Amino acid sequence: MERRDFSFVALARPGAGRDKKTWEDTVVEQNAHEGLIGARVRRKEDLRLLTGRTQFVDDVQLSGMLEAAVLRSPVPHARIVSIDVSEALEHPGVYAVMTGAEVKEAVSSPQPVIWRMIPDQLIPDGYPLAVDKVRYVGQGVAAVAAKDRATAEDALELIDVEYEELPAVASLEDALAEDAPKLYEDWPSNVSGSTTIPKGDVAAAFADADVVVTESFRFARQTGAPLETRGVVATWDPYTSHLDIWLSTQSPNLARDLLGEVLGISVDKIRVRTPDVGGGFGNKFDFYGEEIVAAILSRSTGRSVKLIEDRMESFVANAHSREQKIDVELAATSDGAITGLRATVYAVLGGQLGTVGIGPCWTTAALMTGPYDIPNAELSVVGVMTNRSPYGSYRGWGQPKSNFVHERMVELLSRRIGMDAQEIRRKNFVPPDAFPYASPVFFYDSGRYADCLDLCEKSVEQAGWLERRDKARADGTAVGIGYSFHVEITAFGPSRILNMAGLQHAGFDEEVVRIDSTGHVTVYTGQSAMGQGVQTALAQVAAQSLGVALDDVTVVVGDTDTCPYTGYGTGASRAAAVGGGAVLTAATRLKEKVLRIAGQILEASPEDLVVQDGRVSVTGAPDKSISMAEIGDASYRRMNGLLPETESPTLEEREVFDPANVAFSYGCTAVLTEVDTETGEVRLLDYLIAHDCGTVINPLIVDGQLHGGAAQAIGGALYEELVYGDDGQIQTTTFMDYLIPTATEIPPFRLEHMATVADHIPGGFKGMGEGGTIGGGAAIAHSVEDALSDYGVSITSLPITPPRLLAAMRAGKDNG
Amino acid sequence: MTGKVTVTLKVNGRTFSADCEPRKTLADFLRQDLGFTGVHLGCEHGVCGACTISVDGSTARSCCMLAVQAEGTEVTTVEGLASDGNLHPLQEAFWKHHGLQCGFCTPGMLAAASELLEDNPDPTADEIREGISGNLCRCTGYQFIVDSVQDAAQHLRSTT
Ligand code: FES
Ligand code: FES
Repeated sequence: MERRDFSFVALARPGAGRDKKTWEDTVVEQNAHEGLIGARVRRKEDLRLLTGRTQFVDDVQLSGMLEAAVLRSPVPHARIVSIDVSEALEHPGVYAVMTGAEVKEAVSSPQPVIWRMIPDQLIPDGYPLAVDKVRYVGQGVAAVAAKDRATAEDALELIDVEYEELPAVASLEDALAEDAPKLYEDWPSNVSGSTTIPKGDVAAAFADADVVVTESFRFARQTGAPLETRGVVATWDPYTSHLDIWLSTQSPNLARDLLGEVLGISVDKIRVRTPDVGGGFGNKFDFYGEEIVAAILSRSTGRSVKLIEDRMESFVANAHSREQKIDVELAATSDGAITGLRATVYAVLGGQLGTVGIGPCWTTAALMTGPYDIPNAELSVVGVMTNRSPYGSYRGWGQPKSNFVHERMVELLSRRIGMDAQEIRRKNFVPPDAFPYASPVFFYDSGRYADCLDLCEKSVEQAGWLERRDKARADGTAVGIGYSFHVEITAFGPSRILNMAGLQHAGFDEEVVRIDSTGHVTVYTGQSAMGQGVQTALAQVAAQSLGVALDDVTVVVGDTDTCPYTGYGTGASRAAAVGGGAVLTAATRLKEKVLRIAGQILEASPEDLVVQDGRVSVTGAPDKSISMAEIGDASYRRMNGLLPETESPTLEEREVFDPANVAFSYGCTAVLTEVDTETGEVRLLDYLIAHDCGTVINPLIVDGQLHGGAAQAIGGALYEELVYGDDGQIQTTTFMDYLIPTATEIPPFRLEHMATVADHIPGGFKGMGEGGTIGGGAAIAHSVEDALSDYGVSITSLPITPPRLLAAMRAGKDNG
Repeated sequence: MTGKVTVTLKVNGRTFSADCEPRKTLADFLRQDLGFTGVHLGCEHGVCGACTISVDGSTARSCCMLAVQAEGTEVTTVEGLASDGNLHPLQEAFWKHHGLQCGFCTPGMLAAASELLEDNPDPTADEIREGISGNLCRCTGYQFIVDSVQDAAQHLRSTT
């Protein structure tokens, strides 16, 4: 074997690449006149991550800890006739074996479904492991706790389950067929529920329409697939009943409440800690049966139990998403005004309802009108159970489909009436003076949509795409440009409104800001860190609001015993907006106390004081000043003669922020694409997003979120699909079959920003974690259609795989 | 599973010796027996690259190697990339350019990038994309990783 003389250590020779000036500036780029809010700052999280000094859930080691594994159903639909665990129990190193029936005995309630938008929806009782019947391949049937994972897996093979197989309901069509086998025998059909969101008079709009455009869209099953799989380490003391749990979750407070609900214990006895989390993307928002299984195994063995899913399991046990069929009709005038939208979203749910139930599919319907002022709408959602894995959260949460639908319908209308699609967009945008704007469900707070579209088009021109396309076409290469415009719901959301919409949880946020006896700052947040940089973002807000250096701020996350409560969790692009807003208010109030104390010590009026870089000084008399450290000391330790009699010791403020409304970010995506007309392969050449998320806290983080979101949109548009066979078997359970895009499939990104502040959020922040994901699919589809304009291709489903595209090309040709 | 074997190898410059089952992967051995939890497992089937380390100077997927196969080798993990409290230029560049979000892919990404720069000290953006195409990142969309590697390359060139 050839050995190359190479190692990390060789590259890291002393002095190599060390340039103090370039590397050590914390702030990568900052406008001198502005503060830390808006500064391009390196992340506080990164040093540990870069040097391998992290603790992900699988790195948690507790003394005496056991490891668990779950036996999963190999069949999509069957009655469990019997389970024999006797051999497994006798296997050396095995401590406990649990079946679904035993787990059901041990819990107080079924797995919670927190989104209940449809009042009369049939919501089956689901348990952490299957009871009596299995309803999807991969459903947990039994679990083993053993001295290590390998032993637990060996023992799984010794469990004997007898299944009486039932006909599989493998697809939406199967489920809706007459005489379809039923997943739940006592239901009238496989439909769990349906509801319709009305607006205006849609019948009249269609009766009066000059043009009606009809289409049906199809979206494949996909999943967030964070690179770290999910996991839990549970310690449930059989004597004190105290449950201490490490969980790779985006929603520790929600998890704590749900653990209490299911296990029948009060929340004071539950501590949820989140270690480092290797990506969430919604998958780790949801609450899974494995959490409960690990807890019960821990209680029964009297030991800590670790349960980490492997990648193959993650493809069946993690939330599946995106899969829908949507039938749409659009009414318009011949000059391009959209007057009505009618749609039915078929939610292809799994064999059981997940934590968020039909939530994402309802959202698809609720936000189907997108950025357009469509006066009449009738938006329905029908939830259909199939023998597939449960449906759940994935970045975008229904919105990528709404976006695909409204943007595709705009393009179809454009073809029909021969009017430029961008002109149709401009004509129908909610205009800037119409905000707050009542869409069918939500109030949009603010926006300048036409400006954003202009910005995107201008950048496309400046980037020379038009010339590139012309030149490529002249050379006989199929190159096209596609656009889409998206809105993104963020700053989720007013608690009472969310309750009214059917959420069994709140939407407020609570933040604590503390200055300690050394004058340094700690922010305690209930928001979760899963790679999105929330610690840095909140630190920037606190540092600027208090007038201290960024390095003097620490943000503590991930422990329900020490961190405050946040409603919902860290999803729905809410951390920066509601967390940032709450930190800003708390820190501002804390600064007032600092100034009162400093005013007394410096014998000056608080109004005459300024704080900068951790020093309070009197305006105009810079030598009269006091450091934050001295104020901290006076507030905690040596206060006599310094801390005013009217002030209580300590420096801490707590803010609960329940926003008055959600906040809508938005953006325009453009894609330059080349299609190989022989193979049907799509290659993205360039990618541009013009974006507005209100006040930006850290442009570096915002850019990273847009890039990462767009990469997931690209995966969803071109590559990713959880494939089920007609027999109900899943065929994609490795990264060899489920294709996450690599660096060679992802194009370079260009970004443009504008900022329209959210008036109702302190600081004007809006969230933006999902925008990149929402707008990508439609823009890519349009670029493909543009590249293949000679073929009259119409894209109606995602992902656009080569065989599907070749078929669409043939169909386009046939249609003339 | 009976019978343990002793594996002796050098990790980040220090010699370790430990007993393990013959079926144990090198990744699990490094993580569980030697405490190098900077080795991450994203798939355990050789596709994601998160477990990439350097074995005798070449990158290897530690999930696809058995610990016994590493007998007598010299291994470098992400924990050995920085030295004497100084970050490696790649680490500095990843930090500056936001080349990581959750950081789960990062140890493997750094290993792949190190090898790439060793082979090609002045890579184009496309060559970088090619060079890291065996490593999945679900968070960043790769752009900032490419920027990081390019900047680190420039640094390394200017200081050699
Ligand atoms: S964990 Fe080794 S390649 Fe994925
Ligand atoms: S930073 Fe999360 S997978 Fe790459």
